This record gives sequence, C-alpha cells and structure tokens, in this order.
Amino acid sequence: MSGVRARIEASLDRLVDATVIERLQISLAALGFAVVVGAVLVFVSGLIADCPDPFLSLPGLGGACYNPVEVYWTMATGSFGSLAALGRTLQETTLLLFTGLSVAVAFRAGLFNIGTQGQMILGALGAALTALWLGEVVPGSLIGALIVIPAGVVVGAVIGGLWGMLPGLMKAYADAHEVITTIMLNFIAMGIAFWLVQNRVGNLESDSVLTHTIPEVARLTPTIGGTRFSLWALLAALIAALGIYVLYDRTILGYELRTSGVQEAAAEYGGVNAKRNIVTSMTLSGALGGIAGSVYVMMVQYRWQDGIPPLGFDGIAVSILAGNNPIGVIPAAVLFGAMKSGSVALNLSLGVPPELVEVLRGLIILFIAMPEFFRMIGKRYGYGSDPLATDGGENV
Amino acid sequence: MGRITDSGGSTDARIADGGGRSRRSPAVELEGVTKRFPGVIANDDVDFVVEHGSIHALIGENGAGKTTLMNVLYGLYEPTEGTIRINGEPVSFDDPGDAMDVGIGMIHQHFMLVDTMTVAENVVLGDEPTRFGGLLTDERKAIEETRRLAEQYGFDIDPTERIEEISVGEQQRVEILKTLYRGAEILILDEPTAVLTPQEVDALYEILNELIDQGKTIIFITHKLGEALHAADAISVLRNGELIGTVPAAEATREELARMMVGKDVLLEVEKPAANRGSAVLRIDELAVDDDRGIPAVEEVSFDVHAGEIFGIAGVDGNGQSELVEAITGLRRPESGTVTFEDTDMTAFPRRKRIAAGMAYIAEDRQKRSLVMEYDLRRNGVLGCQRLPTFGDRWWIDWDRIDGYVDTIIDEYDVRPPDPTAAAHSLSGGNQQKFIVGREFERDPSLVIAAQPTRGVDIGSIEFIHERLLELRAEGKATLLVSSKLDEVTQLSDRLGVMHDGQLVAVVRPESVTDEQLGLLMAGERPTGLDVDAARTRSEP
Repeated sequence: MSGVRARIEASLDRLVDATVIERLQISLAALGFAVVVGAVLVFVSGLIADCPDPFLSLPGLGGACYNPVEVYWTMATGSFGSLAALGRTLQETTLLLFTGLSVAVAFRAGLFNIGTQGQMILGALGAALTALWLGEVVPGSLIGALIVIPAGVVVGAVIGGLWGMLPGLMKAYADAHEVITTIMLNFIAMGIAFWLVQNRVGNLESDSVLTHTIPEVARLTPTIGGTRFSLWALLAALIAALGIYVLYDRTILGYELRTSGVQEAAAEYGGVNAKRNIVTSMTLSGALGGIAGSVYVMMVQYRWQDGIPPLGFDGIAVSILAGNNPIGVIPAAVLFGAMKSGSVALNLSLGVPPELVEVLRGLIILFIAMPEFFRMIGKRYGYGSDPLATDGGENV
Repeated sequence: MGRITDSGGSTDARIADGGGRSRRSPAVELEGVTKRFPGVIANDDVDFVVEHGSIHALIGENGAGKTTLMNVLYGLYEPTEGTIRINGEPVSFDDPGDAMDVGIGMIHQHFMLVDTMTVAENVVLGDEPTRFGGLLTDERKAIEETRRLAEQYGFDIDPTERIEEISVGEQQRVEILKTLYRGAEILILDEPTAVLTPQEVDALYEILNELIDQGKTIIFITHKLGEALHAADAISVLRNGELIGTVPAAEATREELARMMVGKDVLLEVEKPAANRGSAVLRIDELAVDDDRGIPAVEEVSFDVHAGEIFGIAGVDGNGQSELVEAITGLRRPESGTVTFEDTDMTAFPRRKRIAAGMAYIAEDRQKRSLVMEYDLRRNGVLGCQRLPTFGDRWWIDWDRIDGYVDTIIDEYDVRPPDPTAAAHSLSGGNQQKFIVGREFERDPSLVIAAQPTRGVDIGSIEFIHERLLELRAEGKATLLVSSKLDEVTQLSDRLGVMHDGQLVAVVRPESVTDEQLGLLMAGERPTGLDVDAARTRSEP
C-alpha cells in the first residue's frame, strides 16, 4: 500500500522536476503512444464494423474496414493538406487561442477558471447584438467595419469580464471556490442566453433558438477562400498571447496578480491587495473568454445560435497542454485546431464514424495533457525536489 | 496488519504489564536504515537503538532527518534499506496502523484532536467501546476507561471536559492518553515542548518519568539541547541524515552535543555591546486588535521602540503576539489605538505605504507569508519591494536590477545553494530565513520587525541571524523582536516585554530577571519582588 504510494509520489517528484526539453520529449512520446493506441482501436473497430470493401481480409476474423495508416494520413492532410484545410485549422486555432489564453491567465494567477465557456457564450451574445444594432447605423464601408467590429469585441470582453468577475468576487470575499462557482455559472450563462434569444432578442420567427444574421459590415473578412478564417483575428490572438506574456513576466501588476493567486498571504505580506487582484485576474480571464465569443460570432457563425461548440472547455486542455504559458498556448492551440479540422475530413472522406474520430482525438489530448496535468497537481501539492518535504515537522 | 516476519519467538514474552519484563532486549533497533527521496538521502545507514524503559532524545538541526527517521519507525514511510526490530522481532509496516499494532504510538507536534469533543471522546475515537452490539458508543465506559488510564499514569485531567476548554499542556496529555489507550508501549514525541510554558514543560517531564516507571519506552525529538540533557537517559545526534553518535545524557555536555549537531563549535552566548539609543521610531499607543474570529487578542498594549535598541517581546505562542505584529505591519486592522512610525500616525496606512516608509518585516510563518514557496529566489527577492522605485518604474519590473540585488543577498547572507533560480521550497528552513533576512535588511530599513526569526532554523543560521540583528542595532536601527524562545529574547533585547493573554504584563530589563520569573510572567502570574514596569517608560540605563 505505502509502496504504491511511494512510487506515485516519486513519479510526481520526477514530473515536477522535469526540464522543458524533457517535457517536450514526454509530450512527443505521448503523441506517439496515443497514435499507436488509436491505430489499434481503429483496426479492431474495423474488424467489428461491416463494410462492402475491407482493405484487408483476415482468415477467421473477417474483413478490416479501416486502415489505421490511411486514417492518420487523412487526419494529417485534412488539417494541413490544402488551403481550405489550413483555413479550417487556423480558424479553430484562433478561437482556441482566445479560450486557451483565458484559462491560462487564470491558471497563471493560481486560479482555475472553468467558466470560460459561459463567459464566451454571453460575450458572443453581446457581440451579436452589438453587431446587429450598430450594423444598422454605420455605413457599410471599411469605416463602418472599423467601428462595429471593435465595438463587438469590446462589448464581448466587457460582458465576459463581468461574468468572470463574479466568481472572482465570490472567491475573494466569500471564500467560494472558483472551480465550483465557475462551473455553476456556466449553466446560468447558458440558461440566460438561451432564454433571452428564445424570448426577447432572437429571431422569434425561427423555430431554432438563434438571433438574426449580422450584416456584412460586422463580419471579419475571410482571408482564405472557401473558409471563414480571418488573418486579422489570428493576429489579434497572437498579440494577446504576447501581451499576456509581457504582463506576467515584465510588469509589476503581473507580478502582483500572479503572487495574489499563488499565495494570497504572501501577496498581502508584500503590500499587495490580494483580494482585489484575484478579482482582477478572474475579470481579465473572463474578458478573454468574452472576446473568444465575439470572434466566434463575427468570424464563424455570423449570429448567436444555440449549441455553441465547447471551445471554452477545449481551452482548459489547451492551457494545460501549454503548461499555462501564454506563449505555449500558441502551439497547443495549433495542435488542437489541426485535430479538429483533421477529424472533420476523416469523417467526410473515409466514413469512419464520428464517435470513433472523437475517440482518436480524445486519446491524443488525454495522452499529451495528462503528464502536464499531473505535473501541475504535483506542483500544487508541493512535490518535486524539496528537502523540507522529507522533514515533516519543524517548518513552522 | 503488522507482520512479524520472523514468527519464531513467542510474542507474549515481553509484554510489559506495569514493569514486569522477562528479558531486557532493546525496545527499538533500527539497523542500517536508509531512506531516500528523489535527489535526497534523508537517512543514511542509521543504526539506532533504544533501551527498554528509557527516555531517548533524538536531536539534530533542521533537515537532519529526525522526523523522517521517526516516520520510518512509525510506519509512515517505508525504509529504502535496513531493518526495524521491535523487542527483538523484525517487523515491517505498511502504515501507522501496523506500527500501532506492535505498540508504537506517535504524539505529533501539532495535536490531532477534535476541539468540540470531550477528552474521553477524543481518547477512544476510532476504537470506541460500544453498547447494543456496536450500535451506540458506550460513553460511560469511555469516561471510566479514560479516568482509569489517567489515574494509572498520574495525569491530572477531567475526561468530561471539552478540548477547546483545556490548556495546550492538557491537550498534549490527551494525545498521550490516546496512544496509551491503544496499547502503546513505545511513545514517540515530536518536539513536545515547542508549545508549552516552562511550567508545563516541567509537568511533561514528570509525566514522562511516570511512564518510564511503568515500563514504557519514550523517544522524543527535539532541537533544544537543554531539554535533551535534562529529560533524557540517552541522546542520539543526527546530522545530514547520519547518526553521529549516541551518548548517555549524564556524560554529555551542551558544547559536546552542539559540536556533534553542527560539526563545529557554536557560540552559545551572544556578545552584545552597550546600546546607543536614539529617539523613538515606533510608538504603540493603547492598541487593541481582534483575531480572525473577532475575539479580542490584543488589549490596550502600549510601548515604544527606539533607534539603536532591540525591544523584545516574550510570551507563549498565541497570547496575542501574532495579532500585535500584524497590526503594526499593516496586515490586520486594529480595533482601537494608534501605530506611530517616525512621528507619522500610520494606523490607517495600507501595508504598501509602511513598506515604502522603511518598515522591514520578518514574518513568523515564512512559508506562508515571507516567501512564495513556488517562486524562485529571484522572484522572491522582490516580494514587498516590487513597487519601490529601486526595482522598476511605474509599470515595469527591472529584473536586471533585481538579479543584482538577489546576488548580493545570496552572497552577503550566505544563502545555500547560491542559486537565484532555485525555488524557495527547495531551500532548508535556515537558508530560507537567511534569504528573507537579507531581503529585508538590505533595503536599509529604519525599523525591523522580526517575528520568531529563528524558529525552525538550524544553529548555524540562528547565530548568523542574531549577529545581523545586533549589527542593525549597532547601526542605530530600531528592532522589535518577538520570540517564544526565552534565551533568544533575553540575550538580544535591551528591554523586554512579556505578553500574556493579549496584554503586555511586564516590561523589564532582561538582565534583571531570571528565567523562572519570566516563566511565571508568561504564565500570567506575578512573581514577587519584581518590578514588572521597571523599563516600561524608557530611561537611560
């Protein structure tokens, strides 16, 4: 019993102490393992499934329907193999950058924001309504776009920020753990947005729960033909990543924000109003979630529609994968974006059932994110090379 | 389950029922015990033998591996190598329950009692006598059983009182009763005197002697030499995970033990030149402070600290010192009264302004307050100074300047390892504290508030920190030193206040009082023939 425990603790120590290079190696190895496990799963599923034209017939076992090599090849080409594929990948990447950054900003300050999804949904609605209303008033030219698009982003950021501020206030002044409150606020956000769109601000003639489509002037111009990806949104996301990196690494405010979240009592010792800073961090995190919603409306959906994809939850995985480093979020978001568009292609061209595609995607995420996740957990509970931990008492 | 791996011997041969033992094999034998953690050897090939019916002290500096060794004996850790024999039988433990089964009980430094339950309920908790076939706890029997045990060992304790109503000393007795109730023959006490008044310490010694008389075996961990010499029969010294030696207490001297602990001679007396006092830097006027629960913790405390003097505050932990210090440093809002710093009323100032005005602060809980444990030294070096113009302008932090500052601290204050990128939690307690002292002192403060500056710190670092405090005093800085270590406050302070139950019950010159008188003051009594206000208003010596 204690032997197992000791082994687990030793592994946690090892993980926490891993260098950046080692962590990259772990991630690559995990990717390899995920592909191997996925390939086996694909192959076995192919044996069970019925198809007219199996790629391989095994005596006694029947035909194997899906070729693992072909499946992964299609996934790769489906994400980077053509301009359209690249567009789909980058479109997804852009959104995941914002949600990933939203989660990372909170994580960096020692806070778990699970509420990015809710912040995004409300931000999206705010942006859609702003675009619908302003789009009527402004001229349909570039000038109009320069007014209405930033306005949509700002409104999304403000609404998302306020929605993020709420759990921040509850955490700072009422000791309510942000994981619980943000999860619950997700449901409330979804409920509010749904009700508003269904009964008040939406397209009341439609059977679906959606708003009217936003005018041309409020849409981000597609950069790559055939997709809705806009380079401007990606650039903005990259600038945001850089900005957050600078904020936390170079500014006094960033230092104080981070210290407040990581160790509140020490922040107070350092003359920092830790409670206010916890609220600030959560607000900033929520604002980024709100911007993700704005970009989703103005670049992808062109309206608010029930059933917004779980980009906010994917953002958690992106952030964990990136070790909560705002710069690391960039490659993590690219990987996730690529897998998303790759799996769409897989489903379309090979007829692999969408459930199986999701399993392949999930495997990759699971395998890559878990070492980082356990590393984070280990770090939080004080594992890693730490002579003091070997000495239970006296460290009063 | 406790596995007696070699079950050849008869297990009832040495059950001690009141002292009638059939043979005198050592109670505990550790042979070649090594405990490795990744990157650290906490215990290195330790041979440790404890005789039956003796009090054995285990001493050593912080991080020497005392607690790890006892955790191995107590079944919390599995040794990497080596064997454990209890009463001559090899054993191996999977968890503390196994150790309990062969009669090993541990009394932790921080008590594990349920405050709202009675003494008897705590004693039987987890192993309650029951009625109606296990449906109900037999409370009457629990009380009887507790009373019987208490009487047997001469404990003065009422089984029906609730834990929150009894003193810390009594709580410790409840912890001891708990292990006795579970049939412990070998008791391990981790720093048992850390939280006790001198009077309570004496009472503890009596209890330990009574336990020995009745055939129990006791191991206690301490880093106080005097205690080990006074209470123990034999003393084992650990250093860097190795057992340096075991000596009979009767033949050991303080100097010898100190040398064994640190590997070099230690200056046990502090040399203090005469004070050169200036004007009042800090003035505390009728300050009243509440604790976290809103209960008054500090009542109408007044004193002042002058330039060039060390004003000490002695007292047992939890008598309002923490709240007082937090109110002075700006971490807690006082209910009434004023804090005046260099002729400015700072009572309503936020902490940041107090830092900027030149108030340095060594917090008592360094792992919670003075350091961000997961930050490296570089990031910790700017904690508290991040808004000072020295380290940046308006928005930006200047890491280059901080690097220089941190290098200076590491260099001048002998912080090991000398690596600015080492995380704070990877440093030993003494090195953490030296770093904090460096960070706070190098800012050139006019007032230093040092709360428990040497708690949980090894002897070498204690000496170093004391020297630095005296250096500040020589430079004409004002120092408020709060410590529950009597020898520390009496040796360093020019004037010494004693806190009891939220009040400053006395302000005296340390050279004019004895440790016994201080002990009485700390316990809230008034020793006869002592002017408790001798130094309350400052006058020239």
